[in-house]
Amino acid sequence: MTLGALGFAWRSLRRQPARATLGILGVAAVGALLFDMLMLSNGLVLSMRDVLDRAGFDLRVTATDALPGQGPRLPRGVDTAQTLAALPAVRSAIALRFASATLDQSNGESLDASLQGIGGTGIRPWTLLTGRDVNGRGEALINESTARTLNLKPGSMLPLHPTCGGASALPVATVVVVGVATFPFDSLSSATIVTSMETLGQICGNVDVADADLIMVASSESAGSQTAAEAIRNAVPELQVLTNAQLVGRLERGGFSYFRQISTVLTTVTLAFAVLLITVLLTVSVNQRLGDIAALRALGFTRGRVVADVLSESGLIVGIGGALSIPLGLILALGLDGILKRIPGIPSDVHFFVFEGRALGLQVALLAGTALAAALYPVSIVARLPIAATLRNEVVG
Amino acid sequence: MSAVIDARNVSRVFTMPAGPVTAVADVSLTIEAGDHTAIRGPSGCGKSTLLHMLGCVDTASSGTLLFGGRDVATLSDRERSLLRLRQIGFVFQRFFLLPMLTARENIELPQAEASVSRAERRARTDELLDYVGLSARADHRPSELSGGEMQRVAIARALANRPRLLLADEPTGELDRATGDQIAELLDRVNADGTAIVIVTHDLALAERCRRVLTMRDGRVESEVTR
Repeated sequence: MTLGALGFAWRSLRRQPARATLGILGVAAVGALLFDMLMLSNGLVLSMRDVLDRAGFDLRVTATDALPGQGPRLPRGVDTAQTLAALPAVRSAIALRFASATLDQSNGESLDASLQGIGGTGIRPWTLLTGRDVNGRGEALINESTARTLNLKPGSMLPLHPTCGGASALPVATVVVVGVATFPFDSLSSATIVTSMETLGQICGNVDVADADLIMVASSESAGSQTAAEAIRNAVPELQVLTNAQLVGRLERGGFSYFRQISTVLTTVTLAFAVLLITVLLTVSVNQRLGDIAALRALGFTRGRVVADVLSESGLIVGIGGALSIPLGLILALGLDGILKRIPGIPSDVHFFVFEGRALGLQVALLAGTALAAALYPVSIVARLPIAATLRNEVVG
Repeated sequence: MSAVIDARNVSRVFTMPAGPVTAVADVSLTIEAGDHTAIRGPSGCGKSTLLHMLGCVDTASSGTLLFGGRDVATLSDRERSLLRLRQIGFVFQRFFLLPMLTARENIELPQAEASVSRAERRARTDELLDYVGLSARADHRPSELSGGEMQRVAIARALANRPRLLLADEPTGELDRATGDQIAELLDRVNADGTAIVIVTHDLALAERCRRVLTMRDGRVESEVTR
């Protein structure tokens, strides 16, 4: 049997199982929330970076600083993409132009779809599931959600009502579905149709679709994104080039920062609750044992030793509760992530809660700080305990 | 005989909202090795306060207290703790055994704190359990022991580090007459085996077993009888 501070604290906890269980479960619940907040604070950024990287393109070229689709188009985008693709630092470049369409469902309702035209050759940002890629005029790829909702497969005809740059009174166009693919930024229920730039021009009323909203560039492995970005700026100085890291940085400073702010506020509140909970439990525990503690001091236990007993008790409650909080937090994060991903327009590959070593490290550090902070008041009671007066009061009381 | 404790004109004054209260006034007292001393007196006369000062858990407001020739006032809190751990044993009216530990563990506790090896602790604890007649109750928790048994464990715990001085504050105060007599006999035996004992008690029968009886009143030693 160990009679050290930790063994002593363990015995104290076991002597009061209800109190110990309450404390441990409280810390587990609060710790799970804390862990989720820490995962949330950076989760969207990490996830978005991962999605961008997995798409296979590490540079985005636009006409201005505005986000793709929100600013002026790149003049002669397809030609520019071909120019960029010829640079030694570039492996592949494709031009994209965005429009939208509504699709007729069998129940009479319409389905909003993202309609994208693609120009240029090289790698594609999607993964083909069935069928083949778009080769000729009038062909289109659709995503799984569209295929499922409209019961389409390669070879199916797909009539659509296009809206191109504000022009919505366009005639119905029909494309042939040649393949079903997954697209990196698809949400769970979004409909996506991709076709060639030429076909998009036809759909949009035989307009010239040489301009693009965005050029996606994959740098060559030997050059890397920074070198490729520099090469593009030198080749076409009037264009804006963003690496994935820069794009994520912009998102981080923009809309994503709300998650970090919410996370910070909730983390602070959560930690405050944890500190209060453990402080109350330890203070009650210490006050119940003042006579015992004074007797231990009289028997020769140093002040440091009785303080170590209280700190160990706090450490055990927080340690056990904290260990439980990790799996609990992960389960909770899965559920919350599922709820948040139902928000329309959220890409299905994007996650709000992402596990990372930094979050775990921070969780451990914050809980250790919580154990210390929570023990401060009860420790001060023990450290300043007047031995003689306490022994006298215990007898009189 | 060498003095274990030499208290010279010690006083203890408590600061109260209504004004200072003198609990112990100008008491001089020497405890030699092997002494058997009782301190008697009415409630509030200062006997427990004096005992606490002798046991280095309270400090005198004035006067000098030497323990083994060292001025206790010059010791740090840690040094006083170590002094109590190795040289003084305490027995309390309410036993103060730790409820989550067995009798054996309670006796081992001060030894563990004094960094006694596990094997030595075990041997000493077995010896003490036998000494107080509780070998069969070694693995029982305090809640499973009678009052007399708890006080015997408390005495064994107080003796664990072989102290020079055993201080007992109303050691029979919570016990019936027969059990109190058993505890008194045990304390007699402890003293006969060489440990100096100072007992604070209301119990006349217990006090009269001691060779020296001090009677206090209003913080002062009113009389001293040595047999």
